[in-house]
Amino acid sequence: MSLAVDIIKHGGKRPSEKFMPEKLRRSIIAACLSVKTPEGQAEMLANSVLQSVNEWLQQRPEVTSSDLRIIAVRHLREQHPEAAYIYEQHRITI
Amino acid sequence: MDIPTSFSIITLAALVHASFQLSVSVLTLLSGHAIGSKKSHNNVLKLTASFLAGSALMIVLLLSFSALVFDRLFDGKASELAWITACGLLIGVAVAIWLFYYRREKGTILWIPRGMARYLTKRTKSTKMNAEAFGLGLTSVTGEILFLVAPLVISALTLIQLPASWQLAGLILYTAVSMLSLFVVWVLVGSGHTLSSIQKWRENNKGFLQFSAGAGLLILVFFVYVNEIIGNTTVGGF
Repeated sequence: MSLAVDIIKHGGKRPSEKFMPEKLRRSIIAACLSVKTPEGQAEMLANSVLQSVNEWLQQRPEVTSSDLRIIAVRHLREQHPEAAYIYEQHRITI
Repeated sequence: MDIPTSFSIITLAALVHASFQLSVSVLTLLSGHAIGSKKSHNNVLKLTASFLAGSALMIVLLLSFSALVFDRLFDGKASELAWITACGLLIGVAVAIWLFYYRREKGTILWIPRGMARYLTKRTKSTKMNAEAFGLGLTSVTGEILFLVAPLVISALTLIQLPASWQLAGLILYTAVSMLSLFVVWVLVGSGHTLSSIQKWRENNKGFLQFSAGAGLLILVFFVYVNEIIGNTTVGGF
């Protein structure tokens, strides 16, 4: 079930958007695959992180995209530190 | 200036160029996106090879264009004033590199206009075809032109003083050496190293890379100053 949470984009310059679990899931899978995690494991990890993020979002009507990222990284790091590192680095590479 | 000295200057300038990191960052991101979007190993290699080809072409174009402009301006022999100005530029860029090259934040965020960085990140994510990767290679080199201008200017001034047949060799030498860092990352990705290990190395050693780029430029200034300004003055004095 999708939560009605507003995501405030980085810097607040772009308009906020609804939380899209699939978008988060896809990005976590991509991060896992880019460090050569098998596809099945990548999907399992993404679902697990998504579940934790959903729980964190329950009581929050709006969050920033950076907060969302921090929470996702925190949960991913517990299970796959290398993938978490790549996921975290995506926005701070260039 | 004799040919070995000219080639030494071109090699040192190209090594400084190779230590600049924008293209390496874009290549790392591009590899990550390509692997993450389940492309086959061959396709990842083709995509990244196209990126390398684009970068190489832009380096050739920038250097040959600069050399052409200087050749027209100085008629094949740069004046002492031109060398002094170039040395001043190098010192300025070296200090700027030491002070600003990396932003004081986590990761490997570079001191380039944020709009450019966002554009490159967005384009990297959208790059699916080899032709797009080639274009991205071209763009990533121009994105760092503020820093690249220093080794390019010195190399162009050196190139125009070489005999015509050696100019092409100098151009190829500069391009090959300046592409070394990109080539190493490409080989590492191709040989199965994880992107996290490459990026971790880059993040852990960014201070060293920043220092060596700035120091390399200052050594280059010293080398050029001794050869082109003090050397010529002494010869002229006798």
